[in-house]
Formats: sequence, structure tokens, C-alpha cells
Amino acid sequence: MRVAVTGTPGTGKTTATGRVETDLDVLHLNDVIKDEEFSTEMDEERGSLVADMDAVSEWLDGREDVLFESHLAHNFDADRVVVLRAHPDTVVSRLRERGDSDSKASENAESEALDVILSEAVHRHGTESVYEIDTTERDPESVAAEIEAVLADDREPSAGTVSYVDWL
Amino acid sequence: MSEAENDGIWGVAHVHASFNNTIITITDQTGAETLAKSSGGTVVKQNRDEASPYAAMQMAEVVAEKAQDRGVEGVDVRVRGPGGNQQTSPGPGAQATIRALARAGLEIGRIEDVTPTPHDGTRAPKNSGF
Ligand SMILES: Nc1ncnc2c1ncn2[C@@H]1O[C@H](COP(=O)(O)OP(=O)(O)O)[C@@H](O)[C@H]1O
Ligand SMILES: [Mg+2]
Repeated sequence: MRVAVTGTPGTGKTTATGRVETDLDVLHLNDVIKDEEFSTEMDEERGSLVADMDAVSEWLDGREDVLFESHLAHNFDADRVVVLRAHPDTVVSRLRERGDSDSKASENAESEALDVILSEAVHRHGTESVYEIDTTERDPESVAAEIEAVLADDREPSAGTVSYVDWL
Repeated sequence: MSEAENDGIWGVAHVHASFNNTIITITDQTGAETLAKSSGGTVVKQNRDEASPYAAMQMAEVVAEKAQDRGVEGVDVRVRGPGGNQQTSPGPGAQATIRALARAGLEIGRIEDVTPTPHDGTRAPKNSGF
């Protein structure tokens, strides 16, 4: 089974997936993109590499029992797609605490308020493959347990269960 | 051109189109003063319909009328967000909104897509999600 764990930066993907107990190989795509130089250019304004999606996709080809996490993960073939969510204020405080800049925190918070990643995930994979998990005021262990429930088929697909549009 | 048209104000229509809802706000050109505002929840009964193109059109009519009452004759449009959950691609909700604003008699100027990009040392190429 191939499982994508996606969500706006700061929703806790890397932390939670590090605590998931699973036989799947846990892959951190942001590291892969940097290590393998799967990028086409540098976005200087955002200090971000523009990912070479075809190269990443090819690299994932043939890897079957994997759980891959990144805010780009929903752009690749997967049997199930977990979308972690967090209130935009929580996104800001987690990213600032992690040492990210104000501008990075606020653009990601606005993306979260507008459901950018959820919309892309549903558009590509359909509502029957998407599992939305709200991580606001939840510790990484309980988020990991929710991801394990998705893996175990103990959870129904869901999308649109939280809305932060009032934050805008 | 009549005197009223000459005196008309030019505003900015901010369209926030999320998976869950659409919000349309018309401000003055600086963005400081809100002249008219509506969100999906005010025109449809069901939560799941708040982001529909139908809701967007209803809202556009309401805000266009309010803005015109306050002397707005035309707007630049700034669209933010991927669009609603009943669409197969972004745009239809925003497109429906812009057409409805025009039909209600507002002149439409520059249309800009200012959707934010999630990023974390890496980002997707533009529009790769759709
Ligand atoms: N459930 C949580 N509750 C509180 N803080 C968290 C939680 N998950 C992660 N964090 C903290 O928030 C920051 C971002 O988490 P991280 O796992 O790097 O997010 P992502 O990989 O989604 O960008 C880190 O500093 C992390 O320690
Ligand atoms: Mg991470």
C-alpha cells in the first residue's frame, strides 16, 4: 500500500509520521528532493527549491509499501491520502517556534485558511481516498494514532470537516 | 458619459475561494475601507453549498448592489484560493463571481490570482495541484 501524508507546513507531518508504528517505509520527500537534487529552479523569494515533480514521481515508481510525507505528497500516486490540518494561528506559532521566518509562516497560514492543499488532494484523489485529520491542540502521539487508524482501515474518508475561513 | 459615471469610485473585489466557503469583499483601492461583504453562509442553507458556484453568483449580486449604492462603478479583482469543493478545477467559482459582478453592472478591470503557495524549503511548480 502507498500512503501519502500531506498538509500545510507546520501541521506536524514530519513529527507525527516519525511516531507512526507501521511496516511501511516512511519517506520524507522534502529530504529526498534536496538530497537527490530533484528540482528545476530556486524560488529566491521563498527560499524554496521548485520541485521536479516528474523526477520525484519516477523515484517513487516501484516503491510499493511506503508512507511518504511532504506538503507535496498528494501530487503523487497513492492508495490513501492523509491531510493534516491545523488552525492558521497554530501553523504560525509552530513554524515560528521551529525558527521559520514571519513571511514563510504567514503565507503557509493563509494557504491553510484557504484549504489549498485539501482542495488539491481532493481534486487529484477524490473524496473517497482523502482522510482529513485536525491536529490543532492534539499531541503528536494522538495524531500518529489517527494515521495508524487510517492504515488499519478503522477510519472513514473525510474532507471539509474543518474550516478556518473566518481567520482570513 | 453621464456625470454620475464620471464621479464613480473604483474599488477592489477580493474573492476568497476555499474548499469550504467563498467570501467576497469589495473595498476601496487602498483596501482600508470595506464597502460591501458577503460570505457563502449568508446565501445558502447547507454548509456543503457554501463554496458552490451558485452561492458565489448569489453573493456577487448582493455585494455588487451594495457597492453600487456606495458609488462604486468598477472593480479590479483579486482572487485568492483554490475554489470550492463542487468544482473539478479552480476558477469556475471565481469565474462565476466575476461574470455575476459584471452582469450586475460593475465594470471589471484587472483580474489577479494571488493564491498563496505552501512552501517549506521546497514548493510545487505553479498550478501543479490542478
Ligand atoms: N501535534 C503537535 N502539537 C504541537 N506541536 C507540534 C505538533 N506536531 C508538530 N509540532 C511542532 O511544530 C513544528 C512543526 O512540525 P513538523 O512536524 O516539522 O511539521 P511539518 O512536517 O508538517 O511541516 C515542530 O517544531 C514540531 O515540534
Ligand atoms: Mg516536515
